[in-house]
Amino acid sequence: MNKLIPKLKKKSYDVRSAMLEMCIKAETGHVTSSLSSIDILVTLYYGNILNHNPKKPSYNERDRFILSKGQASPALYAILADLGYYKKSELDKFAQKGGIFGVHLQDNVPGVEITSGSLGLGLGIASGIALGAKMDRELYLVFTLLGDGECYEGSIWETAMFASHNRLNNLIAIVDRNYLCVTDFTENLIALEPMEDKWKAFGWDTLRVDGHSFESLLPAFSNLRSRRSSRPLVIIADTTKGEGVECVANNPLWHGLAPKGADAESAKQSLKRRYANE
Amino acid sequence: MSNISQRDAFWTRIYEIAKQDRDVIVITADMGAPALDNFRRDLPSQFVNVGISEQNAILVASGLCMTGKKVFVYAIAPFIVLRCLEQTRVLNAIMNNPITIVGVGAGFGYEDGGPTHHITEDIAIMRAMPRIEVNSITDSVMASAFADISYNLKTTNYVRLDRQVFTDVYNANSEFSEGVSVLKESKGHYIIATGSMVHTALEITRRLEKKRIYVGVIDVYKIPINTSAFIKIIRKSKKLISLEEHFLPGGFGSAVCEVLNDHNVLVPVKRLGLPIDKHYCYKYGGREIIRGYYGVNRRNIEKEIIKFVSN
Repeated sequence: MNKLIPKLKKKSYDVRSAMLEMCIKAETGHVTSSLSSIDILVTLYYGNILNHNPKKPSYNERDRFILSKGQASPALYAILADLGYYKKSELDKFAQKGGIFGVHLQDNVPGVEITSGSLGLGLGIASGIALGAKMDRELYLVFTLLGDGECYEGSIWETAMFASHNRLNNLIAIVDRNYLCVTDFTENLIALEPMEDKWKAFGWDTLRVDGHSFESLLPAFSNLRSRRSSRPLVIIADTTKGEGVECVANNPLWHGLAPKGADAESAKQSLKRRYANE
Repeated sequence: MSNISQRDAFWTRIYEIAKQDRDVIVITADMGAPALDNFRRDLPSQFVNVGISEQNAILVASGLCMTGKKVFVYAIAPFIVLRCLEQTRVLNAIMNNPITIVGVGAGFGYEDGGPTHHITEDIAIMRAMPRIEVNSITDSVMASAFADISYNLKTTNYVRLDRQVFTDVYNANSEFSEGVSVLKESKGHYIIATGSMVHTALEITRRLEKKRIYVGVIDVYKIPINTSAFIKIIRKSKKLISLEEHFLPGGFGSAVCEVLNDHNVLVPVKRLGLPIDKHYCYKYGGREIIRGYYGVNRRNIEKEIIKFVSN
């Protein structure tokens, strides 16, 4: 077993817990969307994948991480606070008077590259950055995390064509494939499967992983810098919206909400139980 | 430079600038121009054709901008303004990635193209967003000058180029930093026009002169309007006529009236433009016929002005 995994599992719980606390306190935030993405984010930030530096958030050689599904901002904010991009006390002011950030992602927060929340934008921005890096012979990688629901946006597929045509092999997209949108499951709305085939047909290399297993996630992200392919890479990570908090998981009714009152308490207990044996 | 298209004047100058600065990138959504053929041939690494995908064009342009590039995005005006409006709002107006959006075919420039290719709402839409400057280009001299201005600008701008070739009204010594120019002096009344209507205004005022009606012409080519420069010019005028090839609600005339109202300048204003209750139209046979449908052909404008200034 990769020796990082116990550490990542602990971070997975810590970040979930911090994210849940901040959303419960603020009585807002996309809790289930965040829970879906956290293990992917933990892999990137704590699994020695991303080159970044909390003391120099804007240094030019950093890898770029573009969080396209901006509703998962509470997860990223909790991680950036833990890494020292800003004080952890900022999390207590999430979406409140005097706070530096709100429900959707904003680019003026240290460590954050873009404003998002409006969907379908991140892949195109990431492609522009990846193209700019190629023009300047920069070696950094550009990562972007998409929600599966935002793959309904036409702009995603405009960019998908563009990125492969321009051989942006420094671009890695991750699709958080939790199968849930706001009102229903994706396959009931408009089927997104076969998703891997779609990306392949658009000229991308693809990988499909378990988005809540570090044993599955870590190998997918390793050796990206020595990848031989001229194609961009998409990693489709199968996830569960609300992972780790049983009472809100995989339930469309919990989109965009933070649990309150008795629900909040049961969510916290549920999270503790889930990670008690990890 | 005279009597060349605004498009070629603009891109010829960008080509010269780009030869000196490899960070200048042109993104086109499958839109060409003779001047761009040189660019593509000589500077292929600075030329990106994204195909007919305006949303992706703005996204990629903004991503490139985040790596320090000076990006010019080019397409037919209605498509590069409207199809990707939300991308522009988030990436450029909210996030403040300064790029230059170049749209060709202002107003009825694509005269026989029908309403899909006309753009008669862009001033209202673009000026409603912070951090986006509208540059409504009058002639090829101004188009060339705005290549340099755009290159040096630290905010996003929308350069709206006309497709029609007009006789230049500016010359090599013209200066465009004020955003507003007096093309014909007046002690009484002024037509305040933008884009192609500046040429119409000049023509009409010449005809009015023969009837001993003296009306000046002000060209406003930068929106938001340079308030102090504009008010200084019109402060002592008696009546003002705003003239635009654009729907009236929220458009150029509205912008003029906002400035006057907010600065307590009490001058009667007649707004001439496209009445919204005339909807879109399928009229062919040239720009003047389409303008006629909306009541802003030369004859009607002249009639309206005579009526307005005579009362």
